[in-house]
Amino acid sequence: MTNGPLRRTFVYALLGIASLAVLFPLLFCLSVSLQGDTVAPRVFPDLGRIDWRVFGDVFRKEHNMLRWILNSFVVAAAVTLGQVIVSALAAYPLATLRFPGKNLFFFFFLGSMMIPWESTIIPNYLTIASLHWKDSYQGLILPFLASGFGIFLLRQSFMTLPKELYEAAVIEGCGRTRYLFSILLPLSRPALATLAIYAFLSTWNQYYWPLLVIDDPAWRTAQVGITAFRSTEIASFNLQMAANLVVMAPTIVILGFGQKQLVAGLTSGALKG
Amino acid sequence: MVPLLYMSPAIVLFIAFTYAPFVRAISLSFFTVNRNTFQPARFVGLDYYKRILDLGGSPFGSMYLHSLLTTIEFALMVVPPSLIAALALAVLAQAKLKSIGLFRSIFTSTIAISVASAAVIWSLIFSPNARLFQGLIELLHLNATSVLTDSRTALPAVALTTVWTGLGFNFIIALAGLQAIPRDLYESALIDGAEGWKTFRYVTLPMLGPTLLFLLIMTSISCFEAFTQFKVLIDSVGPDQSTNVFVYSIFDSFWMENNYGLASAMSVILFLAILGMTLVQFRLDAKVHYQ
Repeated sequence: MTNGPLRRTFVYALLGIASLAVLFPLLFCLSVSLQGDTVAPRVFPDLGRIDWRVFGDVFRKEHNMLRWILNSFVVAAAVTLGQVIVSALAAYPLATLRFPGKNLFFFFFLGSMMIPWESTIIPNYLTIASLHWKDSYQGLILPFLASGFGIFLLRQSFMTLPKELYEAAVIEGCGRTRYLFSILLPLSRPALATLAIYAFLSTWNQYYWPLLVIDDPAWRTAQVGITAFRSTEIASFNLQMAANLVVMAPTIVILGFGQKQLVAGLTSGALKG
Repeated sequence: MVPLLYMSPAIVLFIAFTYAPFVRAISLSFFTVNRNTFQPARFVGLDYYKRILDLGGSPFGSMYLHSLLTTIEFALMVVPPSLIAALALAVLAQAKLKSIGLFRSIFTSTIAISVASAAVIWSLIFSPNARLFQGLIELLHLNATSVLTDSRTALPAVALTTVWTGLGFNFIIALAGLQAIPRDLYESALIDGAEGWKTFRYVTLPMLGPTLLFLLIMTSISCFEAFTQFKVLIDSVGPDQSTNVFVYSIFDSFWMENNYGLASAMSVILFLAILGMTLVQFRLDAKVHYQ
């Protein structure tokens, strides 16, 4: 086949159909949220009766909505910051120093990725419950602060920087820890961005763990909140979908800005030279 | 000492929330566990494992084995369509067009959508109120009013939701795999007179082996770990237990029945199943790479 205009139109048509298929659930969600309180939502909204107030109504009818979003922000931001710091500290000696047992520690960190979270969730729940950390930020944050993926990613990034850099910095009177934070980390910005975006998205989107460790409705995260809100009496279809869109918005914005970094990070695990 | 100092936060956290709980799950799986103190009460040996794998002939046993089989059935419904869809979108997204970036972003978009959000949307899509699946319900003569409440369609419906949710991630990996294929291979294929489907069949697919293997294992593992979509869409073991996948079944024993010992034994079996898949990937990956 040649690269004629016919072929181009054909490819555009295929891309268009595929895009519609992929986006359909999201467009349907938006469409239903704008249709007002109805028991028979349709695929296309009546353009004359579009009701944008629904996005305000979500916060008026579900008083906890803002709190749920705040909870998710606090938890996701804390986990992101924590993972970056803990991973950077652990990756630093693995990438730059020589010491006995180095490989052992590396396997200890990577080995954590072999244990699925679902296999440890029961003992973790029992720990958090006996510490009376249910309905608390520490219960939602602490179990996720260490990341095998993060340590691996930052170690790879630190290893690409030349050793001479360290020697030069030491001559200038730079301490070891300062070297990590004021030279290594700023030079590893792409890897840091990848880790931060990945950590934030996956924490924001968590469901199982917050479902277990939260009893008080005010402590719900956004994900648990929207699924609980769905089964309340006040939640008409348009409100359910509007609440869902409100909770999805931050992640879509983050993906919009950080798609490149996220893609780079995710594919680094999948592809080897 | 210095390296240990830097690594100590990570070491402490991994012991506290990964390795110690893992060891505790293994040890709890041999005991009945007190519901209030969470302490092991009576040693039962391998009883729970026998019950789960239906080796003792207990009246409840087959339920857990059935749940494992349901998980495999679920994976078989999710994995092939996921791989085919990701590959098709990735091939499309290689077209040399000005606006291709926009289409790539659209195909990537579901990566930002949480499983919970996706399930909330799909529960409306499947709802009898939206009538989108009315035709299918009539075609199959279902007795239920929704595809989610009939034992024949509930699992495929959850599988469809899962395929959509995973599309973004699978697309990214497939596209990266395609882009890593050296250009000159296509040029030599063209010189040899191959084009279109033949190039795809004899150049693209074989070169994509490691990528497809990675996707196959990752998607299978995520099917074995699936919980959220079942909790949000079905919120029970499903019609005739047709959607009682393994992690949901663990949740049931743990959360509803407070049988911590049994649930721990199931967690260990889940770990072994996923470890098995990871090891298969390592073995095959070495083969695919060095052949």
